[in-house]
Formats: sequence, C-alpha cells, structure tokens
Amino acid sequence: MEEPLLGEKKVVKQSGEARLIIVDTTSDVREDNDTDVIVTGSHGGKVGGDYLSKLNVKGVISNDAGIGKNNAGIASLKILEEHGIPSATVSSMSSYIGNGTSTYEQGKISTVNEIASKLGIVVGMSAKEAADKMFEALIQETK
Amino acid sequence: MVKEVHKIARQSGERRIIIANSATSINESNKNDVVVDGSHFGRNVGEMAFNAGIRGMIGNDAGKGLDNSCIAGLKVLEEHGVPAAAVSNMSAMIGDGTSTYEEGEISAVNEAAKKLGITVGMSAKDAADKMFEAA
Repeated sequence: MEEPLLGEKKVVKQSGEARLIIVDTTSDVREDNDTDVIVTGSHGGKVGGDYLSKLNVKGVISNDAGIGKNNAGIASLKILEEHGIPSATVSSMSSYIGNGTSTYEQGKISTVNEIASKLGIVVGMSAKEAADKMFEALIQETK
Repeated sequence: MVKEVHKIARQSGERRIIIANSATSINESNKNDVVVDGSHFGRNVGEMAFNAGIRGMIGNDAGKGLDNSCIAGLKVLEEHGVPAAAVSNMSAMIGDGTSTYEEGEISAVNEAAKKLGITVGMSAKDAADKMFEAA
C-alpha cells in the first residue's frame, strides 16, 4: 500500500460530543479535543503522553517508533494509564510514522496499556478496530 | 508541546546549535540554527524543518520503520541542500532532544550531511558540530 497523503485534523466518527480524530502530529491536538479519541502519526514517547494527559483526551493510538532505548517510544502508555486514559501503539513496521491516516488504516497494534487491555484491545489487532473499541467505550460512558 | 524553551548547546554570533524535544516547536526564529531534536524524522518533520528554514537537523531514526518512513525527512531536506542526520533509536530516547545530543549515535545521513564528513557511527555531538561549523 502507498503512503496516504498527509493532512489536517480529520474527524472519522462522531456521536454527540464524542469524536474519533486523526492527526499527523500530536502537537495538533488542542483543548477542544477533550471529548475525543486521538489516532496520531507521532511516536508514543513521554513528551506526547504528558501533553495528551494534560488535555485529558479520551483515548490515544500512536506509533511505537521501534520502541527503542528504555522503551522510550512507548513511554506515554504508562503516563496515560495513570490518568485513566486507554492507549495503544502500532508497530513502526506496519504504518508510516508522522502520518495519522496510515496509523489508522494500516497500523497493527504492538503494545497496549492496562485500560486499553480492559476494553479488549490486544496486540495484533488492527488500529481501526482498537480505535473503534475506544470510541464505543467512550460513547457508553457519556450516555 | 508546541511552545518549548530550547536549550542552546553552542552559539557563535547568530549561529546556534539548539536542542528541542519536539520538532513541532521549531519555527522561523530558528532559521540560523542547527537543530538537534527528539522527534522521529518522518516526512512531515522534514517539511516542518524546511518551512522553518533551519541550517541543519539531527533527529531520531525511530527504528526506521515501514519503507524507512521514520527517516523520510532526510530526503526532504536533501532536496533543499540542508544537511540532516538521524540517531539510532537504540542509542537515544525518542522525544528527548538532550538524549539525542548527548547519547545519540548517527545511523543515517543525507547527501548534504555526508559532504560535511558526517558518517554513520559518529556521535550526534560531533555531527552537530560539523553542521554548526559549516552553517
């Protein structure tokens, strides 16, 4: 599959205030995304975890960036878990980093935090299915 | 995250080596700078760096990934003659610019960086120095 085009923030699904959003970079997430599940092209490192937990988003799928030294590529999962936010990463070999649409369309889950695990998200699942599970849980919560 | 106070590793007149955790914090005010950052070096990061007009850049190879997409930004900058290199994600912690600078080992270079004598296996610090001296 070819690399999908880079783009702006995309709304993939919406139900009431809850949305499933795609971004190429986590830095495009803002205060008004506090009712959203975020699928990002960025790595899952600490810097993104700190930022997204502060914004209180409702779920995150990012790129594991090859996991790397001290598991730095997935450090955000623990941070988000501590804030009660489900999070997972896709393998950097399954999708194009920096490209949120690729994360969503092509990504295969490589790691999950405890909260995502409780939603039935498992390693090997498609990012789309994992994002759906986060989104469905969010809708149930807000009902 | 977008707003970040950059560390200055070296300065000579208007030229600087700056350290950033995220490439998204770079803008036109960095046009005289060699940037060492913690981000992956995907295509979108290459475009951000080019738009900011920086003099050189060192990022994280994020394990290189699908179709080398994690270092696709090297090519973007090469097309504009800007030296760029990446450090191995096993040598430095992604998202941490200081780790890139202090611990990083070069794993990929573009043609413009190669011309400055930057090679795979070199420390990120040495590579940044070479970009700085040429800037």
